[in-house]
Amino acid sequence: MSSTERGAPGQSATADREIVISRVIDAPRELVFEAFTEVRHLSRWWGPEGFTTTTQSFAFRVGGEWEFMMHGPDGTDYAEWISWTEIDPPKRIALRHGESPDDPNAFESVLTFEPDGAATRIEMHTVFPTQQLRDEAVEKYHAIEGGRQTLSNLAAYVTELVRNEVQA
Amino acid sequence: MARAATTSDVFNAIAEPQRRDILVLLREGERPVTELARELGMTQPGASKHLRVLREVGLVQDRKAGKQRLYGLDARGLRPVHEWTGGFERFWNESFDRLDAYVQDLKQARQEK
Repeated sequence: MSSTERGAPGQSATADREIVISRVIDAPRELVFEAFTEVRHLSRWWGPEGFTTTTQSFAFRVGGEWEFMMHGPDGTDYAEWISWTEIDPPKRIALRHGESPDDPNAFESVLTFEPDGAATRIEMHTVFPTQQLRDEAVEKYHAIEGGRQTLSNLAAYVTELVRNEVQA
Repeated sequence: MARAATTSDVFNAIAEPQRRDILVLLREGERPVTELARELGMTQPGASKHLRVLREVGLVQDRKAGKQRLYGLDARGLRPVHEWTGGFERFWNESFDRLDAYVQDLKQARQEK
């Protein structure tokens, strides 16, 4: 949360359907950027601890795609698809992320890499088409991490509550 | 899943846009109900009703200050929401943990060359 989005109704137009995550990595920007550009790097760190990936195709260029399967520690497989929409080394990468090229719920993330002393600050700004899709993505990632049942119940519950509010 | 009573559930409390507006304002500091109502263009009874719901789910605390009652944000009440929204963030935070470790290895390997 940044202090610039204060103030009641007129906040940033996408505030309710975006997620921003940032991290400082103690390494030069070129090196951090490089870890995003090749599958031999990406496959070493993509996903939470215990996850592995199997790549079907990979082409790191604007319009190129990365199709892969993510394997969870419990044996569940998740189809993943990435397509790069902007590549500006070593500063910025924009990509679409979904389950397949025709995933209607695909969403866009912009990664920026800023020098922070000798380290690098990564900021990942993800904007979902709608607030509901953000919530669904959040729920999906919870499911990926294993809280499946509880959270899908909770999601259904909250969706119902919101719908009731709208109708009320 | 059993439905919680309307006023006892933090998700229900923040599903109402005006209540979210109240929370955003309270992020800046405590306020009396008259000021909240004025700034958000609500009636005072309307604002009071929303504040009651927010207080009952633990998102807002109130205290007496002279003749006034001041309402303030109690962000601890948002914890269930934070945990619920944590999935995507946690996925990436854990990926970035691994990225960090991997890049440190890369850095060391290049220095040794």
